[in-house]
Amino acid sequence: MTLRPRQILFFLAAVAPVGKLVLLPAQLAGIAGNDLWMPALAHLLFQAALIFCVLLLARRERTVLSLIRACAGGGCAASFAVLYALFLLFCAFLPIVEQKVMVRSIFYDTIPAHLVFAPFFLFSAYLACRPLPALGRIWDILTPVSVVCLIGLFLLSAGSCDFGALAPAGAAGKAGFFAGTAAAFSRFSDAAFLLPLVGRFRYERGFAAKGVLCYLAGGGVLLLFLAVFYGVFGEIAPLQSLAFARVGAFFPARGVVGRIDYLFAFGLAFVMAFYAVLPVHGAVGLVCEAFGERKLLAPLLSAGVNAALFAAVYLLNFYTVTVVSLFSGTLFWVFPVFGALVPLLLALLLGRRRDRGGRRAE
Amino acid sequence: MKKEEMREISGNAQKDGAALKALLPAQDILCFHFADGAGRNAVCVFADALTDKDLLAEQVLRPFRAYAGGAQAEEVAAHLLSPEVRVQTSFQKLAEEVLAGNPVLLWDGGDAGIAAGTKKVPLRAVAEPPTDVAIKGPREGFVEDVKTNTALVRRRLKTGELRIEMLTVGRRTATAVALCWLEGTCRADIVERVKKKLAAVDIDGVPDSSYLVRFLADRPRSLIKQVGTTEKPDIFCAKLCEGRAGILTDGSPIALTLPYLLVEDFQSGEDYFVPAYRATFTRLLRLFALLVAIYLPAFYVAAQIFKLQLLPIRLLLTIAGSVRDIPLSPSLEMLLVLLVLEVLNEASIRMPKYVGMALSVVGALVLGETAVSAGFVSTPAIIIIAFSGIGLYAVPNLIEETSVLRLLMLLVAGSLGTYGIVLLSALVTVALTTTENYGVPLTAPFAPWIARDLKDSLIKSHLLSLEMRPAVLKSPNKRRLK
Repeated sequence: MTLRPRQILFFLAAVAPVGKLVLLPAQLAGIAGNDLWMPALAHLLFQAALIFCVLLLARRERTVLSLIRACAGGGCAASFAVLYALFLLFCAFLPIVEQKVMVRSIFYDTIPAHLVFAPFFLFSAYLACRPLPALGRIWDILTPVSVVCLIGLFLLSAGSCDFGALAPAGAAGKAGFFAGTAAAFSRFSDAAFLLPLVGRFRYERGFAAKGVLCYLAGGGVLLLFLAVFYGVFGEIAPLQSLAFARVGAFFPARGVVGRIDYLFAFGLAFVMAFYAVLPVHGAVGLVCEAFGERKLLAPLLSAGVNAALFAAVYLLNFYTVTVVSLFSGTLFWVFPVFGALVPLLLALLLGRRRDRGGRRAE
Repeated sequence: MKKEEMREISGNAQKDGAALKALLPAQDILCFHFADGAGRNAVCVFADALTDKDLLAEQVLRPFRAYAGGAQAEEVAAHLLSPEVRVQTSFQKLAEEVLAGNPVLLWDGGDAGIAAGTKKVPLRAVAEPPTDVAIKGPREGFVEDVKTNTALVRRRLKTGELRIEMLTVGRRTATAVALCWLEGTCRADIVERVKKKLAAVDIDGVPDSSYLVRFLADRPRSLIKQVGTTEKPDIFCAKLCEGRAGILTDGSPIALTLPYLLVEDFQSGEDYFVPAYRATFTRLLRLFALLVAIYLPAFYVAAQIFKLQLLPIRLLLTIAGSVRDIPLSPSLEMLLVLLVLEVLNEASIRMPKYVGMALSVVGALVLGETAVSAGFVSTPAIIIIAFSGIGLYAVPNLIEETSVLRLLMLLVAGSLGTYGIVLLSALVTVALTTTENYGVPLTAPFAPWIARDLKDSLIKSHLLSLEMRPAVLKSPNKRRLK
């Protein structure tokens, strides 16, 4: 046991929603217009159900790989680890690209060098090979940061927000809803990110329900953010691609105190940096567990994976729009297949707990 | 081992005295030859400057001169008036006693030597420590003598649970180290680990407790502080009462406490003597000052080079006007001013007090004023560094670490801009949260989040609310207020 259950709840409530504030709001506004919150709500409910399943799987208090190993053998577990690690790296790619776009846009008024984002990969390489307790403690720190920054942004944007822009609900129709839902698959993989953490924390009675409630509470904040975002920008919302850095820009005292909303945006960027590394950490952890070695393999693997991500991000430097549309459009099915089906199947097949007599209970 | 060290006591005062003197040939080790009441030859070997001769005469020599009983060491010892008498049979031990300031008595027919505790060490008086001045609360500070320091602790903790174990560290200095803890309040494994680590210290000398810090830390080469320090007995005792172990080192007024939490350095002894709301405000102010000290120069540079929008338009215009004719880049300018501040700081600490006044005039007025008017540096840069310099001293125990961090932030801000600051902050967060000492996370009670311990962290609750000892220390005796 290396994580505390509370840390998982903190992650679900305060860190997971922040990872969706970069390009998603503008993208959803472009597809679903004033109904941008509906696809997000659908995903939140779907993810909440998946998180419930994954947390139920944690009742076994064994890692996913050890459960698979016990059920289908070591070879199967190793294959699963490698495949799932590849999927997690696939999940990590879009948030990292978004981070790069965000960094180049909101951190610099001048045009920065292309390599200005490169140190992120050093940070990622360092964090991805740290043991799990580090991640849990960081979530403890990130929670107040995230809460303070979101409250700050909400306060700064409240004055310029018109919630009337969200009416009438359902204007985008079914087509807008389904297109928005499909496009948003790439941003909602929280249950998949939790899977490598199963068995790393003690399951307490009712923890799955608590997890779902926390995730929905965080999701509520995300929905509120989407509503405020559309309330501030209305029909030009699709053009405001870095929502969280724009939404608080129009407060009345801006001329006197400057862009203090940037301080909150920087705080959220700080949280996002950790969110973007989570799948990489999960991938490294899974492979290390599969091959039973951590001390040497974890740093090597972390360095290798981050070098590969660095190369991929910079090779596609001028194709950001293509990458985003590829992940949100053409390849969107990968996310439900691996991110939803795999946790669901694992929960169904391996989630049953054996009682002391060896019979299956529940 | 020398030949003399291996010799056994012969019972001949002349020979034994000569053997001991051969081990300690220095001129300040004196031998006083005399005879006891039975006419037996005796010799007293002592270190000249370290021994209280009046006490030696009164408690040891006078009773021994009048003594005419048996020659057994135990009998002689019972006859002396010194309350601290030790019988030693090896020359090596006797030599150690002499070097520690305790005179050694040898006589004809004796089977051992006797060391009497009549040491006299020139001591500084107990005074208020310059690094931790209190307006309210006790003003006593530790001194360089370990015995005085243990007395200061014992005076405050009048309980049989207070354990003080004397250890010796350093091959040549043989520095006395007092390990203090409250039995049943401090975890036994912490005490054992500290003992083990101190026993493993194999170094020539330990001139100060800061030498021991590196041996006691779990990550000795880390830049992060891992051992708590204090100069005040009241704080030291309060930490013992919370379930920590403390270390007093002879020759050092700085006591060490373990395990250490980062939040300790944002607290001061005075916080416990003022109303809780005031203590909370002061602690938050210290945190704010520290953050300003670290981040302000970096954000100023980053804002000037990369992100002008961070500054309000009027301030931006003022700054633009000030830096227009400055030949240096913002980061170089800031580094230069920071360097000057560090040099001034270093010089003002080392300089005699009376010259310090002149230095302030030269540093602040002449250097600052002329540098601005000559166009080398801008006024905002000096203001920011001055503010940062003051902020750093709001948390004096972290100055070494934070001044390095401030410099790193500045370098990163100048090269990578605001994102560099965010990334470096993230790295520091990871490093801090992953640091543990004696199984206690450095960043508790924030990471891991321990709600109960938050009552006395950056927030200070009312004294009556602090019913339990800090949960993170896992003290066997959990309750402190009944």
